[in-house]
Amino acid sequence: MTPAEVQAEISQLLRTLAAIGTPIQVLMPAGAAVLLALASVPAWRRLLGPAVTAVAVLLALGEGLLVWFHWRLYETAIVVSPETGRVVGRVAVPLWVESEKLYVWALILALMAVLLRRHREELLPGVAAVLAVLTAGAAVWGRPFTEPLPSFLGQYLGYLQEMASGDPARMMGAYQAMEGARQLYYNTWYMWAHPPALFFAYATFTVAFVATLVMVSRRYSAYETTAYRWIRLGYLPLTAGMLIGFPWAILAWQGESWWWSGKVNMSIMMWLLYTAFLHARLYLRKPGMWRWVAALSILSFLTLLLTYLATYVVPGAHSYL
Amino acid sequence: MNETRHKEWDFTLTVITVALLGSLGVQSFVGTLYIWWATATIPGFEATGHTEFVRWMNVIAAPQVIALVVVMGLCVPKRLFDRTSLVAVSAGMVLVGLFSWAFTGSPQTGLAVYLALSALIQVAVVALTVAGTRGPSYLTEGRLVKTGSGLLHLGFILFALVVIALQRSALMLPIFWIATVITLVGSGLAFYADRLAWRKRVRVDIDRPLAGQ
Repeated sequence: MTPAEVQAEISQLLRTLAAIGTPIQVLMPAGAAVLLALASVPAWRRLLGPAVTAVAVLLALGEGLLVWFHWRLYETAIVVSPETGRVVGRVAVPLWVESEKLYVWALILALMAVLLRRHREELLPGVAAVLAVLTAGAAVWGRPFTEPLPSFLGQYLGYLQEMASGDPARMMGAYQAMEGARQLYYNTWYMWAHPPALFFAYATFTVAFVATLVMVSRRYSAYETTAYRWIRLGYLPLTAGMLIGFPWAILAWQGESWWWSGKVNMSIMMWLLYTAFLHARLYLRKPGMWRWVAALSILSFLTLLLTYLATYVVPGAHSYL
Repeated sequence: MNETRHKEWDFTLTVITVALLGSLGVQSFVGTLYIWWATATIPGFEATGHTEFVRWMNVIAAPQVIALVVVMGLCVPKRLFDRTSLVAVSAGMVLVGLFSWAFTGSPQTGLAVYLALSALIQVAVVALTVAGTRGPSYLTEGRLVKTGSGLLHLGFILFALVVIALQRSALMLPIFWIATVITLVGSGLAFYADRLAWRKRVRVDIDRPLAGQ
């Protein structure tokens, strides 16, 4: 295939994705508004469960479409060596980068909200409210169906243009940049394990945050236990996700002081705070200790939000700026 | 060892650990805010000021990290020794670490030796816990939960060893993966093995009002 043919195929793929996905992207903020309304009015809360299920189904359908899009993109996005003219590989863009990050977080939280059993009645309004914000955010800011993967497509289409230029130096420069991104970022196993582990953890911590707020308002220890159960469920993938990032960071960010970059800093801080929570909780039966435990739980979640935002706000390694 | 004193020692170490974790967290947060502010307001900060920023962050973090490693090391023998022996073993570990630092002139080597000693003791703690001897003391109940707790702390010690001493070594990846697997298996057991434990775990989650506490 020539670069022009690849470009034409990608354009067609994007048109198909937009045609099928636009209704989903429009329904997402509408679903979010319904969730917020049902969570806010106590008399309507009996409809909250079905509404959460409906939003989960909508997001799952959208994810199915995105899986198809990524698969077709993988088949199309070839990288060709300018020296040999041979295909050296294809770009496997993970399902949780760029415009799809918030979407994946919303999807996992929606599935957890559907499966939520312990203290479901008390937690569902809060979880649904956060889910509404994430779903609306994924549609409005992410726009995964109408403006997918802007960074990847910008780089890849630029690479195709350079490959079509016929200038050997420009072709080699574009090839090396694209192949570097393919090998160290898109196609690395780490990118297929680290982000989903963290988004799973983010979703569990969201439920734990809601449970902590309920505990603080109602002052019953059983809600604290619920919060702890969700935090321990998320702590495992959080730790695994962060640990496996270490050898990758050494390799991919050679020569950079990546450990003091904003995003990495905030991630470590979040892990430290959740670790502190788990340690403090060992002494829960000490008088007044629950206040410290609740404060750590809330602080940890606020740090989680800052960690997520740091990617878009603070420059450095692991930043989209 | 007196049970109350043992728990006080446990609590003190936990408070110090939480305080150090929190302190490093605050430094991370302030550092992030500074980077954000500096990039927006100081022209060419990435090229001119970033190296100095990293140097200062390292300088501020170093004593906290050393303290955290020392506390982590102190948490290990507490499982195994009575109060008198604990003080002697802990002081001995710190002295060996300091001696290694002084002898080689490298604080990294001192920390690495200290962590290696901690890892050895922790291996013994885990082995005794698995064997079911009454020696090691824990805040949790149940052999599997205790084994999990022992393993996850061993994993963190090995990971700290990788970060501090083995980043440029051929052993880095093998020990890193061992540390990761041990940490995750240990966490899984510590969090979820209570349902399988042969001794009933002390429950802290009995539903009760918190008001007035």
